[in-house]
Amino acid sequence: MGRPLMVCFAIAFIVALIVALMAAAYGVAYLAEGWFEGGARLSNILFLMLLFVMVIATLLTVAERKWSAMIQDRIGPNRARIALPFLRDRALGGLPHLPADVLKMLFKEDFKPAGADRLLFNLAPILAFAPSFALFAVVPAGPTVAINGRQIPMIVASPDFGILFVFAIASLAVYGTSLAGWSSNSKLALLGGVRASSQMISYEVALGLSLVGMMIVFSTVQLPVMTDAQARYLWQAATDFDFGLPAWGIFLQPLGFVLFFAAAFAETKRAPFDVPEGESEIIGYFVEYSGMKFGMFMISEFVEVVVLSGVTAAIFFGGYHLPVGEQWLSRLPLFEEHPWLFGTLLGSVFWIKVVLLCWVQLMIRWTFPRFRYDQIQALGWKRLLPVGLANVFLTGALILWDPSLRALASVGILEIATLLVLTFSRRAPERQSSLAGGTHSSSAHGALPQPAPSAGQR
Amino acid sequence: MAYDASQDPTKDVRERIYIPELLRGLAVTTRHFLLNLFRDRDKNTSVVDRKSASLVSTVQYPEERVTYPPGYRGLHRLVPREDGKPRCVACYMCATVCPAQCIYIEAGEYDPADPAPDSRVIEKFPTKFVIDELRCIVCGFCVEACPKDAIRMDTNQHTPSEYTRPSFVYDIPKLLKGPPVSHPSDPWFRRSGSEEPPYQPVEAHSRIGEGRSESHPVKSLPAPAAPVVRFSKGG
Repeated sequence: MGRPLMVCFAIAFIVALIVALMAAAYGVAYLAEGWFEGGARLSNILFLMLLFVMVIATLLTVAERKWSAMIQDRIGPNRARIALPFLRDRALGGLPHLPADVLKMLFKEDFKPAGADRLLFNLAPILAFAPSFALFAVVPAGPTVAINGRQIPMIVASPDFGILFVFAIASLAVYGTSLAGWSSNSKLALLGGVRASSQMISYEVALGLSLVGMMIVFSTVQLPVMTDAQARYLWQAATDFDFGLPAWGIFLQPLGFVLFFAAAFAETKRAPFDVPEGESEIIGYFVEYSGMKFGMFMISEFVEVVVLSGVTAAIFFGGYHLPVGEQWLSRLPLFEEHPWLFGTLLGSVFWIKVVLLCWVQLMIRWTFPRFRYDQIQALGWKRLLPVGLANVFLTGALILWDPSLRALASVGILEIATLLVLTFSRRAPERQSSLAGGTHSSSAHGALPQPAPSAGQR
Repeated sequence: MAYDASQDPTKDVRERIYIPELLRGLAVTTRHFLLNLFRDRDKNTSVVDRKSASLVSTVQYPEERVTYPPGYRGLHRLVPREDGKPRCVACYMCATVCPAQCIYIEAGEYDPADPAPDSRVIEKFPTKFVIDELRCIVCGFCVEACPKDAIRMDTNQHTPSEYTRPSFVYDIPKLLKGPPVSHPSDPWFRRSGSEEPPYQPVEAHSRIGEGRSESHPVKSLPAPAAPVVRFSKGG
């Protein structure tokens, strides 16, 4: 079997696994709801948060190593093997490295530096891990379906304050990092903690502002309502198979999406915003941690990646809704008869979107060099914040002018088109002519010697 | 303040708003990712000869090994004769030329009264031939210096790892290995039972003025036993 076939088979296997787990989630939620009122929410905690988020996050630890290897033309981890007769010679895509890593972390010495504050030192990993984990509670992973008269939601909690919960809890996570930095009794860790908190402050504002546009568009702060609002179409072809441009946030608010993604990326403290960690200079706020406590910091980073993907999918990519053909599918007799099947389908769509967005985040993390510290602050305060404010005003004005969202979507598509044109247009020839070189070499570059501009360099 | 990159004259609007350049960079990494994910890796051990679409250039070392170039200098060996004895005549040339002084030789002498044919054609043999592989700097001078083609570095092996320093000191049993080598000029081919060695045409390894006399034609030159490696030094 060739590698292309094998990779396709692996992808199909993952999709099948997601579908099966989603069906199981609905089934168990149905049984739990029959057991006592609100039991479905409890089973959702188990399935959505413990199973889906945790499993994807732990798999991302291996995926990051493997995917980064592929990006960098390497093979990546493939040496851990399972000593069973038919598995001994198989690398299994590096997956055995996952239990190996976990065992290593569990059995390493739990070192506590001298002079460290014992209580806070132990509390910090929990404080860093729990909030990022709790974030997912308000993200809907599937539609609410009625099975035998029982309403089965596929969300842990649907409070009225929705996104505000995300903001509040996301900023709580910084307590963990800054406490870890302070309580370690290490200057480098303290530097990392301070950097983390300052970065968090500068991006929290932009994060909030970037989503105000979406709140205005859908007149709600609840993620399930937002997700359902994205099921309809802005422009729809008059056919039986419904087809058109869905009212996804990415089309309505591309600017808001870029702002949100950048700000949320900074919140996950991963490259290109990994200044609090700073592998190459200070090791960061967790420099004194070892064993599973360090593992909790690491896994919380990946949990944040998954949660960020979930929130982004729910707000900007239609959540669990298909881009086209969903109404046609829902009218099929099979899905009308078994609504849980339809819910399973949509829930799988959501998780596939989440996995794809995780992939995008890892690609971004392995593509871009990190920002300098002053660049991070300048980006947060001088770029994202004003652009976010302008976005809010523009969105408000366009909605006032045309409540049907079509004007907003037109502006959004115009923005996307401009971006694409800029991306694919050829760059202007390098300006190394006598004009630019002559005026520039003396002033800006100072002592840097400039090569003499030659005629053939254009 | 450090060098202000924003004054770079090559920056145009794409770089100023950052995102188009970001997308271009993503396109590059995604191309690499997809090629390496979906395409088979060419397992040719010579990386420059790999023709597959996969860009992975890794050689999975213990399973795949890079073929060494023909002139590669590996672990030493003492070249054996057809009869299994070393070709070495204990002339000390290698020990003298060795810049690291890692070769130690003790010479033994054949008893002229010994009826064994060796004693009639060569005088000396090494009773001890020791190379300290930790001191060796793998320069290959010993191979160049040897007049008898008795030491070679054609094993294509690295020095294997050991636990103790003394294990890196190789003696004759450890060094004497590999295919035997014969040259037509080797003196033991001249054994004919006569008191004087038979005449041999002048070859690379014959001594100056040796066998110039026309009075002793070749009587019976035994054909060397196969397989014989001929003049393949360094191969």
